[in-house]
Amino acid sequence: MNLVLIAMILALLIPTYAAWRDDEVWQRMLAFASIATKTAIMALVVSVFRDDWMIGIVAVIILSVGNAALMLLAHVIKRMQDVSNS
Amino acid sequence: MIDLLSYICLGIGIVFWFWGTSHLLGRRSILFKLHSLSVADTLGSMSIIFGLLLKIPSEWPLLILAIISLAIWNTVLGYVLAYCSSSGDSYE
Repeated sequence: MNLVLIAMILALLIPTYAAWRDDEVWQRMLAFASIATKTAIMALVVSVFRDDWMIGIVAVIILSVGNAALMLLAHVIKRMQDVSNS
Repeated sequence: MIDLLSYICLGIGIVFWFWGTSHLLGRRSILFKLHSLSVADTLGSMSIIFGLLLKIPSEWPLLILAIISLAIWNTVLGYVLAYCSSSGDSYE
């Protein structure tokens, strides 16, 4: 179990580094979307290994609502770019 | 036997994660990164959740909900990000 979690944290470090290195907004958005999915799956893994329903419910809520929020944020960024260009 | 199968699923999922996110560090275009990231991330996460489902079948409603929301939302998010980023670049 610990090995699985350590491997997941290592995989989480890659998009974190990418988000820190890139200045372009869409690259950063992509990295953050990856981070959101990965952390939610990690919470789900922890909840199953601990046999704890509550953490799992929080993870599923993050998985659905967090992705929806990222989608809205992408639209807001695009509109801001359109307005500043016109 | 089931335990071994679930660990194999978890391992496949983690390999997919590493393979998909390693493209983030390259110098390719954003659409290439988006494609590899959405495909590999979604498939890897689904494999991980399926491994968890084999491990504890009593939590199946929650895990099925997770798989469905993952499949729908990650696909839609991929399309939306591609649409927003490509039309943002079109003025160059």
